[in-house]
Amino acid sequence: MSNLDLFTTRRPELGLSKLRQLDVTLVLSWAVVAIAVAWAVAPGLFTPHSGTVGIAGNQLRAPDATHWFGTDEIGRDVLARIIYGAINSLSGAVVAVVVGFIGGTSLGLIAGSVGGRLDTIIMRIVDVLLSVPGLLFQLSLIIILGFGTVNVAIAVGTTTVAGFARLMRSEVIRVRRADYVEAAFGSGGRFGAVLWRHVLPNSLGTVIAFAALQFGSAILAISTLGFLGYGAPPPTPEWGLLIAEGRNYLTTAWWMTTFPGVIVILIVLATNRISQSLRRTP
Amino acid sequence: MSLISSSALRRTVQPTLAAVLLTSVSAMAVIAQDQPVTGGTLVYLEQQAHTNLYPPAGGFYPNSGILNQITDKLTWQNPETLQNEPWLAASWEINTDATEYTFKLRPGVTFSDGTPLDAAAVAKNFDVFGLGNKELGYPVAEAINNYDHSEVIDPQTVKFVFKAPAPGFLQATSVIGSGIVAPSVLEQPYAELGDATKIIGSGAFVVDSEVLGQSLNLKVREDYAWGPANIEHQGRAYLDAIQYIVTPEDSVRIGALLAGQADVIRQIQAYDEGQVEAQSYSVLSAPTRGVNNNAVFRPDNPLVADIKVRQALTAATNSAEIVQTIFSSHYPQATSVIASTAAGYVDLSDKLVFDLEKAKALLDEAGWVPGADGVREKDGVKLELSVYESLPQPQSRATFQLLSQQWAQVGVKLNVLAGDAGSAAVDRLDPLKTPVVSAMVGRADPDVIKSNFYPSNRDALLQKGGLNPNATFEDAKLNDLLLAIASEPDNAKRLELAGEAQVYILDQAYVIPIFEEPQVFAAAPYVHDVSFDAVARPSFYNTWLSPR
Amino acid sequence: MTRLLVSRIGQAAVVLLLAFTASFLLLQALPGDAILIKYQNPEMGLTPEQIAEIRVLYGADAPIWAQYGNTLWNFLQGSFGYSVQAGVPVNALLATNLPPTLRLASLGLVFAVLIAGVLAFAATLAPFAWLRNLLQSLPALMISVPVFWLGIMLIQIFSFRLRLVPIINPSEFQALILPVATLALPIAAPLAQILIRSLDEVQTQPFVSVARAKGASRPWVLWHHVLRNALLPVLTIAGVLFGELLAGAVVTETVFGINGLGRVTEQAVSYQDTAVLQAIVILAAVGFVLINLVVDLVAPLIDARLKNPVGASA
Repeated sequence: MSNLDLFTTRRPELGLSKLRQLDVTLVLSWAVVAIAVAWAVAPGLFTPHSGTVGIAGNQLRAPDATHWFGTDEIGRDVLARIIYGAINSLSGAVVAVVVGFIGGTSLGLIAGSVGGRLDTIIMRIVDVLLSVPGLLFQLSLIIILGFGTVNVAIAVGTTTVAGFARLMRSEVIRVRRADYVEAAFGSGGRFGAVLWRHVLPNSLGTVIAFAALQFGSAILAISTLGFLGYGAPPPTPEWGLLIAEGRNYLTTAWWMTTFPGVIVILIVLATNRISQSLRRTP
Repeated sequence: MSLISSSALRRTVQPTLAAVLLTSVSAMAVIAQDQPVTGGTLVYLEQQAHTNLYPPAGGFYPNSGILNQITDKLTWQNPETLQNEPWLAASWEINTDATEYTFKLRPGVTFSDGTPLDAAAVAKNFDVFGLGNKELGYPVAEAINNYDHSEVIDPQTVKFVFKAPAPGFLQATSVIGSGIVAPSVLEQPYAELGDATKIIGSGAFVVDSEVLGQSLNLKVREDYAWGPANIEHQGRAYLDAIQYIVTPEDSVRIGALLAGQADVIRQIQAYDEGQVEAQSYSVLSAPTRGVNNNAVFRPDNPLVADIKVRQALTAATNSAEIVQTIFSSHYPQATSVIASTAAGYVDLSDKLVFDLEKAKALLDEAGWVPGADGVREKDGVKLELSVYESLPQPQSRATFQLLSQQWAQVGVKLNVLAGDAGSAAVDRLDPLKTPVVSAMVGRADPDVIKSNFYPSNRDALLQKGGLNPNATFEDAKLNDLLLAIASEPDNAKRLELAGEAQVYILDQAYVIPIFEEPQVFAAAPYVHDVSFDAVARPSFYNTWLSPR
Repeated sequence: MTRLLVSRIGQAAVVLLLAFTASFLLLQALPGDAILIKYQNPEMGLTPEQIAEIRVLYGADAPIWAQYGNTLWNFLQGSFGYSVQAGVPVNALLATNLPPTLRLASLGLVFAVLIAGVLAFAATLAPFAWLRNLLQSLPALMISVPVFWLGIMLIQIFSFRLRLVPIINPSEFQALILPVATLALPIAAPLAQILIRSLDEVQTQPFVSVARAKGASRPWVLWHHVLRNALLPVLTIAGVLFGELLAGAVVTETVFGINGLGRVTEQAVSYQDTAVLQAIVILAAVGFVLINLVVDLVAPLIDARLKNPVGASA
């Protein structure tokens, strides 16, 4: 889908109708994100039910007019859990991506631009980070930091630092070798200026695509940690954790894991779509 | 290997010929109901891998599910009468103050390596169980109290001598932790007994092969001829083999059973029972007859040091609601510290009445007043407690979340912690981090109360001299009661003491009983006669599979 | 070239030592310890004194620097110590659990690359715009599903509903189908995305038009020029994928109840079985360092060819 935009801008044969159709998906994506953000800001506006307190006797109800997504094992409304969980999931994913992005991109940019011995040192540190299996690192970090939404997000983010750094560095090196950048250096451009005007903007493309992937991956990684028993403590509603906890009930109550799963898929698809469209505008 | 190909064959035949065979199969099943069929492999899905097969480590469900098939015990506790009946021991004598036990062994019993199961072997087993072995790392069995030494009187007679009366010992010879293994087993380091192939017992099944942590195959012992004397079935087991497969995912265990890929599964969750019964599979439930699934307070934590707070939380707990919401009819609401099926039980439900007004009044009296956010406070401290979910217990997370909701109604906050096994194990010993814990023990003898609470045993309350080196809390009266239970030779008096202990524990509000924990299994319709010992550990000695 | 090789191998050794040290410190920082966790279990009924004795038995009472020295020395000799939780030497644990995971992971990787390649080319060359759009959005969908969920769903659908593949007592071949699919799909997704993007970027570059003008067919051009260009970012994330394969193995093995390094890892973290974790870190680090050594040596070759594409030289 990244290329939809490239195709539309660069290929005249697609025509106007195609453009309009593409904008529809973009609008839909923005709508999905807007709703999720609204859930995070004012969950009470969207559901009359509580996200944490259940009604005994109401447990494991299949979806109906009152409980659109059904209820869970202690009678909590699944939709309400999803809505109240938005703040945890979105902020968790944002924290994870920001940690990885800032840490990794700066390391990669320095290593790729400065080169030489500093490059070697940074990249060996990155190698060490990468060489410790990510999940093992995350699990250990959570045990050390303690269980909680923010700690889990930090643990997830930390393991992506190395990936960002390597990718950024390889992109910087690729761009630096491009003719026009070499020309900019050749024509007496100051290092910092060339870096800022040519290298950075041109290297960021792939890295932002990676970051977009990481946003969704972060939600999923948090979910996987929940599956392994390292999620936020109950009764915190958090999308990944809802999917993970609901899976045990799959045989009897499919809705408990399916609906949070669908929500996560929608969010991941939407953020991907948006980040690609943002990449196109300078 | 024959067992895999035979089960593969079963499956290929089943879907294609099912329609044709349907009538004849069901007709056969009716006839077969009376007549057990020999042969076949039972596929058993276990939730967790076994850890260590030193018999006293059999308290852990997965360990006992295996140990029960490969080892025999001196006596057999009849699950209906809870009386001890002959098994490896043909008869026994106990002196009046219960300090000397003499067992006459059944002749002709051998271990699966061919060595005889004689008095020397039995003596060696109980010497290790009763005293431990520091060099090899063997801990003392929790079921055995006051053990001193053994005496081999002749090859078929062994005598055990105790430092003080040990009235629980006869029952202790029948528990899952007292399976007799070949003496050579107990000469290996404790840590190596995680390897099932090293366990040599005299049981109806023998370990054939294992993939550690994944699967274990048992095969029948053809020459087995020493089952418990008073049960109908004698001779070899009906099944040819049992295959244990570790399947941690709840949804996969239940799905595999219903899809015909497995025969028996352990730990089916209450919410899936309906699915199982709807497809005419059977739900098998057996009580563990010990200390109930209780929420236990740690009085060293200042928040719950005050008895009024503990009483208030007891009144704020609606265990009926928990049982109705989360569990099924197989999980009875608790009415005392121990289960209604346990030895020495007294009904104390009048001490466990759900009463929100009483709870609020008690908290007011204790000086805890509602704060701005609804959580009660005293001297600037919030009444906020924490509890770890207990992974081996059924639906512990849901149980405590519901309890948390109930306590919130009287202004007490209960945080349910999800933790890695390591942190949880360490934090459980710190009363400041875990003012409340979940605890239960299964054993059909009043000694079980001592097992759970005595400082040198499981030490549920974390008393001085127990697991927590910094403990200051000590209840001498309780401990004296517990010791008395473990050493009162007169059975009637012993049960009386057990009753006193239950009353005392609830009067002090040390625990909030929630439900009587069963072990719940599910089995395919063609699986017959799975039996359970007195503490819900399955035995497949009688089990047979009708043709499908 | 030889000098480069020697210097890279030297650096690899440094990385390994750093990884060993870092993980040793990380594992020391864990709040509990394996001996406490295993033996303080109330079911064992051990007194604190007895636990202290066991600790001496495992050498866990020595000062940290001495433990570090001992562990390092033993590792250099190929001895990874003793697993407190499993009660067996770590070497034995690895010997039984490494092969199945390696098999699962390598099959997973092969299928992931195949899926990604097929998807990327199909998404670029498919005849209709809507089909291309659909194919291009598939990777995003593939990574939107948590691995454990994918595994459970595959089991529910293919084993329990359709009854195509048994999950209990499968044949050796059947046993691999669903786990490999579970492992491969999420790994294929980022690969496919990067491939699609690269294919797309490269085919807008001038030398492609030149090559096409000279009569080369579009698939041919893509295959010969674009793939090479696309390889570099893919190779760069190969190291990252290696870690993801292990993470995937943890989840896949847990869901499917199969033995392997992944499950051992998860258990070892949970029980803070540091000897096992230390060995796994070093094993993974060796694997990672080897892969990257190869990538670092190969990347300049690809890059050199890239700077001098055949089509553009005309």
